[in-house]
Amino acid sequence: MDASDNDDFSNDVQSDDDLGYYTESEEGKQDQGVSEAIWYVIDANEISAVQEKALQDVMGIMGCSRSIARTLLMHFRWSTETLFGVLAERDKDELYKLASVTSRSTEIPSCSGSQAEVACGCCFCDVPREETSDMGCGHVFCNDCWSQHCKVQIKDGRSRKLPCMGVKCGAACDEETVRQLISDDQEILARFDRSLLESYVEDNAMVRWCPSVPHCGRAIRVEGEVHCEPECSCGLRFCFACGEEAHSPCTCEMWKQWKEKCHDDSETKNWMTANTKPCPKCGKPVEKNGGCNLVMCTCRQAFCWLCGAATGTSHTWTEISGHSCGRYKDEADRRIDEAQRNVKRYMHYYTRWEAHMKSSKAEAETRTSTQEKIAALEDNTSLLKDYSWLSQAQEQLFHARRVLGYSYVYAFYMFGNAMFREEITPDQNAINQNLFEDQQQQLEAEVERLSGLVEMGPERIGKVEDQLRLQVINSTININKRLVNLYELIENDLLGSLQFSVGYIAPYGGKSTLRPDRATPTLTTPALPASKAQDEDLVDLTGLPSSEPALGRFQGREGLRSGDAAKRPRRSGSLD
Amino acid sequence: MTARTRLVKELKELSRSPSDDISLQPDESNIHKWKAIIKGPDGTPYQGGIFRLEIRVPDQYPLVPPAVQYHTKIFHPNVHFKTGEICLDILKNAWSPAWTLQSTCQAIVALMSDAAPDSPLNCDAGNLLRAGDVRGYNSLARMYTAEHALPK
Repeated sequence: MDASDNDDFSNDVQSDDDLGYYTESEEGKQDQGVSEAIWYVIDANEISAVQEKALQDVMGIMGCSRSIARTLLMHFRWSTETLFGVLAERDKDELYKLASVTSRSTEIPSCSGSQAEVACGCCFCDVPREETSDMGCGHVFCNDCWSQHCKVQIKDGRSRKLPCMGVKCGAACDEETVRQLISDDQEILARFDRSLLESYVEDNAMVRWCPSVPHCGRAIRVEGEVHCEPECSCGLRFCFACGEEAHSPCTCEMWKQWKEKCHDDSETKNWMTANTKPCPKCGKPVEKNGGCNLVMCTCRQAFCWLCGAATGTSHTWTEISGHSCGRYKDEADRRIDEAQRNVKRYMHYYTRWEAHMKSSKAEAETRTSTQEKIAALEDNTSLLKDYSWLSQAQEQLFHARRVLGYSYVYAFYMFGNAMFREEITPDQNAINQNLFEDQQQQLEAEVERLSGLVEMGPERIGKVEDQLRLQVINSTININKRLVNLYELIENDLLGSLQFSVGYIAPYGGKSTLRPDRATPTLTTPALPASKAQDEDLVDLTGLPSSEPALGRFQGREGLRSGDAAKRPRRSGSLD
Repeated sequence: MTARTRLVKELKELSRSPSDDISLQPDESNIHKWKAIIKGPDGTPYQGGIFRLEIRVPDQYPLVPPAVQYHTKIFHPNVHFKTGEICLDILKNAWSPAWTLQSTCQAIVALMSDAAPDSPLNCDAGNLLRAGDVRGYNSLARMYTAEHALPK
């Protein structure tokens, strides 16, 4: 490396810092344009605290018991906003009725007056009044029957809104009373409490269990937009909207169909249509293994390959005696062509999807080796050196690989003829596809480049470190930018232009979004998802000893969006 | 409280105040098996018919509902034509321990005069009623009553 390079290098370090790519201070910076999805990780032991807060809110405002607050919140899927919204419109009694709550304030139905003994309507025994209970709705039964009833209901998984025993009552039992009644059975009691606790996650539209297997015990709470891909503290990143693995930029619907497609044998069927014909006698699919058009099934039935009709066995290379089907060509052939084309198309996207998913797995494995590399490098030198750029690159690479993979799934559905046929004209579709594939290719090229860069061994990295560092940093930033552009293209131009069908994708979240340690249940404003480099303009790194100056500049998002697809240069501006 | 004690109580209550339309009897050897005979209510196509019900009482009774089936063939929207299974809310999730075997049978009698064709187990019967063909439904139900439920 010569002196001028070094100069450039030091300058670039400066501007690199301006990027804020690594600096934590930049984290709270909001990027405009992309709708914000804010999420928190709730640790297993925090769930009760979070739930308690919601309960306290409702208890405070409604002045009701914890049990009633819980029943109300379960009914409104733990949305205090909705609950209070309804309260503003209707009165309290109506609200209670809606959520099948009966408060003690409603009159108690006459139940064998004030005698010392009460006839229990369940066991038909006369029991002293003090050994009976009611659940707030006035239906009195003996404690023994209540206790057994509660246990049966809890065992059947009806701990939440445990119903009263009264005929056609359906009111939810008071949870404190239930607890007392079942206090002799610790197992049932634990089950009851756990079920109530988990209601906060399971009945809540804005909270979801982390789908990790084995389950890490955490839940994720989302505010605002549910189409997002939170990352649990256990490292699993998933789609909040559908609970599946993170699959942006393809939509939940696309992902669902793709998974089904990959699992079922619809492509096998397509292949059969394209390459076999059913025997006219036994119906088995027959594949032609060469020779003339007279085909013989294993059942010894001869038939004509062209039209599929049964024939005699005498034939020449050109014709079957007494059989002619010259008119077959048109229709049947078209059908076969179509089937063959579909298989080819599917295979095209499938192989690419699979390749990237495999690479992504490999990247995940090299993460560890990267850490080792970094450790080795840091041991080698007495100077204090920061190699976070290397691990950042590794992270970015892992993420970008996945996105690339899913982008093929997206393309399969977006530009195929099925999903949006009604809405997108073939011409428009071709333009869209061009636009998309341009971006996809750019991203792909950059990903491969970075992949090559970070795969070097530690000795080599040590030698060319200064040079490599810049290349890696730039490549990382470039990938990020290209990812942002790809997401924007999909979100705004491709899916956004649809009138009738709706497709939502999780917005691009950069690498990792919220730090889990910030996910406190308190409602402090969280750090916004930090797609840190997202809106930063890239530094001009011309003069960099890089082999590809294109790294330096990048087409802005405006340029991409307004640009006419046909006129748009295939590579970023500075190359031209 | 066990199912047995409660069933014994119900049996006592039954002998004290028997009902004309419903006769309920436990199996001689097993108190968890009951047989009921109900009369087709007047003013319905089941009028004059005698219908036999089989009742199996689970151990957790009365906390969980008994299982009741028609033993006599009946053409009714909420009764399975082949198995005699009954679709009635109180036999499923609307069960309350305050129901007794007798009141359950009363509810089944009530179901015979007031069918719910929108949740049919017997789609033919349900469709006739939903299409408003009361006459067709009545005549079919009467025919099956005559064929299977009339005392011989």
